[in-house]
Amino acid sequence: MALQSSTALARRPQSFTQNWSAYAFLTPALIILFLSLLLPAAATVVMSLTDISFLRPTNFVWFDNYIKLVSDSRFRQAVGNTAYYTVGVTLPTMALGLLAAVALNGKLRGRIVFRTIFYLPVLTSLIAAAVVWMYVYEPYSGPINGTLTQLGLPPQPWLQSPNLAMTSLIVMAIWRDFGTAMIIYLAGLQDIPKDIYEAARLDGAKTKDIFFRITVPMLSNVTFYLMIILIVQTFQVFGAIYVMTNGGPLGSTETIVFQMYQTAFGYTEFGYAAAMSTVLFLAILLFSIIGTKLMRRGES
Amino acid sequence: MAELQLQNVSKTYGTFEAVKDVSLAIEDGEFAVFVGPSGCGKSTLLRLIAGLDPVSAGTVAIGDKDMTARQAGERPVAMVFQSYALYPHMSVFENIAFPLQMEKRSKADIREQVAKAAATVQLTTRLQDKPNKLSGGQRQRVAIARAIVRKPEIFLMDEPLSNLDAALRMEMRSELTQLHKRLGSTMVYVTHDQLEAMTMADRIVVLNAGKVEQVGKPMDLYHRPANLFVAGFIGSPPMNFLSAKVVGLEGGNVLLEVPEVGRLALPGDASGFTVGGDATIGIRPEAITTTAPGEPALTLSIAPRTVERLGLHTIVYGEQGGRTLTALFNGDPAIAADAPLGVHVPLKQIHLFDAAGQARGHRD
Ligand SMILES: Nc1ncnc2c1ncn2[C@@H]1O[C@H](COP(=O)(O)OP(=O)(O)O)[C@@H](O)[C@H]1O
Ligand SMILES: [Mg+2]
Repeated sequence: MALQSSTALARRPQSFTQNWSAYAFLTPALIILFLSLLLPAAATVVMSLTDISFLRPTNFVWFDNYIKLVSDSRFRQAVGNTAYYTVGVTLPTMALGLLAAVALNGKLRGRIVFRTIFYLPVLTSLIAAAVVWMYVYEPYSGPINGTLTQLGLPPQPWLQSPNLAMTSLIVMAIWRDFGTAMIIYLAGLQDIPKDIYEAARLDGAKTKDIFFRITVPMLSNVTFYLMIILIVQTFQVFGAIYVMTNGGPLGSTETIVFQMYQTAFGYTEFGYAAAMSTVLFLAILLFSIIGTKLMRRGES
Repeated sequence: MAELQLQNVSKTYGTFEAVKDVSLAIEDGEFAVFVGPSGCGKSTLLRLIAGLDPVSAGTVAIGDKDMTARQAGERPVAMVFQSYALYPHMSVFENIAFPLQMEKRSKADIREQVAKAAATVQLTTRLQDKPNKLSGGQRQRVAIARAIVRKPEIFLMDEPLSNLDAALRMEMRSELTQLHKRLGSTMVYVTHDQLEAMTMADRIVVLNAGKVEQVGKPMDLYHRPANLFVAGFIGSPPMNFLSAKVVGLEGGNVLLEVPEVGRLALPGDASGFTVGGDATIGIRPEAITTTAPGEPALTLSIAPRTVERLGLHTIVYGEQGGRTLTALFNGDPAIAADAPLGVHVPLKQIHLFDAAGQARGHRD
């Protein structure tokens, strides 16, 4: 499976001899990290160069798996689905999280209650949430279609239509994730000095100017951070799909990780799945590096 | 007509009264300084003028127009914050341009105005830098330039020099005075530092616990403080206070018994006193001399405990009758610690306060 990437803010490297005691303290953690993360990751890369499977004796195939991936139309569909899901979840989640944070940062009455309500979905178990949303999306007895019928509108096959299923999953993911974005944005807002807002008001800035000229740019680092977190997370979406659509209908919700899971544990093509995993890892690594670069540029 | 007029302005936070019934008129072009100890309500009063906080009672008028109901940004004022409150993500140019952009001025106009303001504060070479690349003094100048481009009727400044080191503060003090002369606009300047108030102000407003204690020209406050608070706050080192008993009132004189000093007759307004009641006399450290003056004077013997020689003058902390008196002498006189020292205070230089702390001396 894919690796979790680190987004810690890198500091200037210092010489080893200067910091030998720091490394000594880090050793136990590094050993655990090596055994649980780096070793399996390395093993995955090695596996991706083989045709390891239960079906035949293992051969070293070099880059055959990767060459096959490039022309695999099913994999390409999964990449497209994953990209759609990632963009579809990440952008609205950040936008809604930012709006909620700005609204609930002020002196609004009941803001603590709203903060709690918006954050609750984050705390629910994914599987429980998925089951509840399957009921919400239920075509005949679900509340959404119930409401639509009452309003005289046609009911929709939310999870049963190849055109709608992915979007339905995206809506649920936004519901679950925007509380996280809100909390992180709220923390970011606390770091903007009150004086700056007051100076802007005195300079004649209206609410809209303050939001776009002061708040948004001053939160740019928080935004980059959130973007990395959300991209890395949504790239690896699996649980909700496994429970709610099983990749269907017609492969319309098949994402990279879901296909990887099917390839490995459905068809026992471990080598091929390992190649997918490596590609996914490299993509995540790339996004993390870009995001961290952007954050560091924002800091200086 | 006054440029800024405050009438019965109050501000309460919950049950706490931060500003109590302040009425003030500040003239067009005046450099007014609000001075007072930390927490006395200076910043609060400034924020009420700016419209950053609404008044709890009273009215704020600027140039004849009632501004009480107007929001911040709709009043013809610009403010320089103690923290400078620069926009950290914007360059110096963008910081100064911001108020003009909010007014939807044309790009060419903005460039011209910014260039002019930057030249006024000598920042022309730093326009492309972000604020975090600038020194404290330069950030201060950006904040001032950002205020200048608004062409406000009133500049409001909240302790603008308090984050600078001593040398830079002195430099900026005279620069701000010059700037005021050049712009000719009204300034309301807040500080807790009486030295800044004395050196920069046309007129000083002394605040204490949310109330105005006295308003006046620096030298009026120095020579004729209205009460004990102002007497103790203005002047450095601060005035010496000696408590006394009133033993008689006759012919425009107040006859006092000062413990460990003796009897003293001072010209004063008898209405504040009753025979047998309390009084306080005040002696500025610089009013004390070692040579007898050619006029009626009070003579004391003090035991110097600490002698601080600053070159220009010498400060002596001496013991007299169980209390500490501070004396300030010009130059570097030969005064030895712990050798008794005879000193004189001209009676005309002694301040007289009644039991309520109001000045009652006849001084000119
Ligand atoms: N927003 C507020 N809420 C409650 N009390 C406040 C608030 N702002 C100021 N105060 C109180 O009002 C008093 C005056 O504050 P301030 O005007 O900042 O003093 P200064 O600027 O003279 O040091 C202080 O005691 C302060 O604690
Ligand atoms: Mg203050």
